[in-house]
Amino acid sequence: MGSLHAWIVVSIGILFSSANAGAAQSPLEAIQATVERARAVLEDPAYKGPAQRDTRIAKVREIVLPQFDAEEVAKRTLGPHWRKLNEEKRKRFVNLFVNLVEKTYSSNLDRYEPGVKLYFDQERIDDDFAEVNTRIYDPVLDKMFVVNYRMHKVDGKWLIYDVIAENVSMVRNYRNQFERILSKSSYDELFQKLELKVKELSSASSS
Amino acid sequence: MIVKIAVVTLLIAVLSGGRTTPRAMAQTDTPQATPPSAETPPSAETPPPPGESVDSGPPPDPLAPFNEKVFWLNLKLDDYVLRPTASAYNKVASDGVKRGVNRFFRNLGVVERFANNLFQVKIREAGQEVGRFVINTTVGGVGFFDVASTWLGWEESDEDFGQTLGKYGVSSGPYLMLPFFGPSTIRDTVGLAVDSALNPMNYLLSSTEVLLIKTGIAAGTVVNYRAMHMDLFADVDRYTVDLYGAVQDAYLQQREKEVQQ
Repeated sequence: MGSLHAWIVVSIGILFSSANAGAAQSPLEAIQATVERARAVLEDPAYKGPAQRDTRIAKVREIVLPQFDAEEVAKRTLGPHWRKLNEEKRKRFVNLFVNLVEKTYSSNLDRYEPGVKLYFDQERIDDDFAEVNTRIYDPVLDKMFVVNYRMHKVDGKWLIYDVIAENVSMVRNYRNQFERILSKSSYDELFQKLELKVKELSSASSS
Repeated sequence: MIVKIAVVTLLIAVLSGGRTTPRAMAQTDTPQATPPSAETPPSAETPPPPGESVDSGPPPDPLAPFNEKVFWLNLKLDDYVLRPTASAYNKVASDGVKRGVNRFFRNLGVVERFANNLFQVKIREAGQEVGRFVINTTVGGVGFFDVASTWLGWEESDEDFGQTLGKYGVSSGPYLMLPFFGPSTIRDTVGLAVDSALNPMNYLLSSTEVLLIKTGIAAGTVVNYRAMHMDLFADVDRYTVDLYGAVQDAYLQQREKEVQQ
């Protein structure tokens, strides 16, 4: 009975620690873990070369995508327009937007050169919101880039809702583009433009 | 010279009331005649609760008809003139040489940066600017190697008159696309003109010589910069849904931050 009791205690302990591991992770830890895991994939010799491109991108996507609150990002890029969309259109927009961003950034992954240095500087937490400040050193350009992440807590997990690279917020930038388009066209036309863009990017990268 | 052309073009555009182009591109009903203020809305410095927005409608861009024309002109200039030149230059200049040339041109901007640091009461930075210039010009082989930052840790502090004005609360005025130079605002264009006046060349050389040298320097800086960033511009059209809006927003966000510092 002694060892059974011990086993029960140990199992419960393991259950608790794995359940809490996610919740206990601070925003900075979450970012650091994500970025370093992505970097590991990009530098892994097993995934090097053009033949491995799709696998590489898929692996990075697996690591990075869950760290974003995709709906929140998409919602913020539409601003007041979000309220005017019904559930179906919202889903459609979120899907399109996620596709667009994925395709955009996977093409950029091809430019990755090893030797990048990462600095995770600080986090500032205010209730359920946080900002994480990091820097990336690019050896090719011999330049340091500032990349900050804005996050919020969802069900105990910190998720990203904006990336600010060199003082330019991604959400604000897309929002400006979409606002300009919506001032001249309908939502359906915006969606069409996004679909077209995703197609363009897909065909270009497979060449 | 380029600044003068820009100012004249601007005056013409403003006086002609900014008619929209006949082509389908700018099929805007002319933007609202709101008082020109490119003050971008207070976005998530303190992030608003999800769902709540702080503004509605596209950002004010009263000079849009003019801006959009110049924007596409600049893209053409890049396609037909700048990129081929930079590309040819790339074949002969190594990365090291390009970085050195970049530093050389930046060193020449020191008087403006010094003056503007003083104007903004940043004495220590102003002192560092002069120190950097002296060291870079002597030890660093006329600014070729940035000895001051690498060896001594003295950072360049990048201030121009547009930022000085911003510091003293002069609002940026409407977004403006300068021919050749690219995005700007009214305040920053005025800043450009003032900074030109501060250049010591103006007092030491005849105005023709100054004009030629400045044009040469401007052209050289631009080509060198473009050559260093061949890749980055190549795809910017692919990645945006609305290129003009993306450039406009990126520029304004960066300026906001620069003024704050």
